[in-house]
Amino acid sequence: MRLTDISARHLMLTCVLVSAWSLSGCAQRHDTSTLYARMGGQATIDAVVENLLYRIADDDEVVSYFTNTNIDLFATSFATQLCDISDGPCRYEGPPMDRAHQTMGITDAHFNRVVAYLDAAMQEEGVPLSARNDMLGRLAPLYEEIMRLQ
Amino acid sequence: MSRHLFSKRCLAFTACLALIALLTAAPSVAGSRILGTGAVSAIEGAAGGGLSPWAVLTSTASESELGVTASATRARLDDYRLSVIGTSVNIHDRMEFSIARQTFELTTLGGEIEQDIYGGKARLFGDVLYHPLGIWSVGVLHKRLVDGTVPTALGADDTRGTDAYISASKLLFNAFLGRNVLVNGTLRNTSANQGGLLGFGGDQGGRDWVAEGSVGVFITPNWIVGTEYRQKPDNLSVAQEDDWQSLYSAYFFNKHVSLTGAWLDLGDIAGLPSQRGGYVSLQAAF
Repeated sequence: MRLTDISARHLMLTCVLVSAWSLSGCAQRHDTSTLYARMGGQATIDAVVENLLYRIADDDEVVSYFTNTNIDLFATSFATQLCDISDGPCRYEGPPMDRAHQTMGITDAHFNRVVAYLDAAMQEEGVPLSARNDMLGRLAPLYEEIMRLQ
Repeated sequence: MSRHLFSKRCLAFTACLALIALLTAAPSVAGSRILGTGAVSAIEGAAGGGLSPWAVLTSTASESELGVTASATRARLDDYRLSVIGTSVNIHDRMEFSIARQTFELTTLGGEIEQDIYGGKARLFGDVLYHPLGIWSVGVLHKRLVDGTVPTALGADDTRGTDAYISASKLLFNAFLGRNVLVNGTLRNTSANQGGLLGFGGDQGGRDWVAEGSVGVFITPNWIVGTEYRQKPDNLSVAQEDDWQSLYSAYFFNKHVSLTGAWLDLGDIAGLPSQRGGYVSLQAAF
């Protein structure tokens, strides 16, 4: 009697867990409320990164930081990072932000300019204001990491 | 009369600067900081929200950049009119210096009171956008009445005084309906009556700490709407003093020109009750 009791409870618990898990699975597949989805998915993120790179290319001071950078690799890596940080189906596995930018001599002025370029790029690629704000808010804490080893 | 002319000329000068800035909008001379992060010019000359100085430094100058602003402000209350002209400089987003001339017209009582305010503000640490604790600054506002007859007659101890303050500002991304929210808190040590226009200290007290705060929502990256509150001392028994509050709307046309409008509720001033009115301020920044 007790045994069946326990197994009934077990079954119940398992059912609840499984249904919760499958629900969350469903939610993840169909949820349009991730920032990734609100940004417009990978297509928009890729377009934003490309747009950003054109803006950086026009800035003589900022572009000088990229002289020894493989731009294609950078674009892919940054797009993956934006996808990851916006809860998209990617995982950024590149170097940590402090090591990636160490001793480059980046100033606050350069940092601010790139932030402005990124926001303008998102705006031009049709990312809505709330998604832009959300993305900038998620990226803002990276400032400390990026500037740590300057 | 000549002072009026001077004030009008300065207003015209600021308007001209603003117009030139609006028309040319040369991005090369703008600072690197994000639009709006230099706030507007507070009535005491420092960068702030109007009534209160904020922790952010004026203009959009960043590290290794310089910024200069000029501003003209008018406030029209039930029985008074305040005009402020000011200029400020930002050195490397580390130090801010400001000068402001306030002209306070007693339209009902007659006469006017003028005050000069010399301000200095230093950024201690942080950044309004990127630092988890926001930006923290300390500042002083040294105030000198041009003619202290009226304040002295009301019982003020001094015709000059210095405020000291510590202020923190922080932008909260995506905090309200997908919009960014700017919060500011300032603690001020002051003996100034009505900001200094009615002198410093009095029969009911002297130097004290007061708190000031504001919350604003960036409806768009160019447009912030919010409210501000400024606690005040109450040193003169013949002229009860109330806290100040405002509802404000500031529009940044670009990094060079901003226009602020506000509704003010300044309470009793110099014996005349519940002073309310409107406020307009134009700032040009380079």
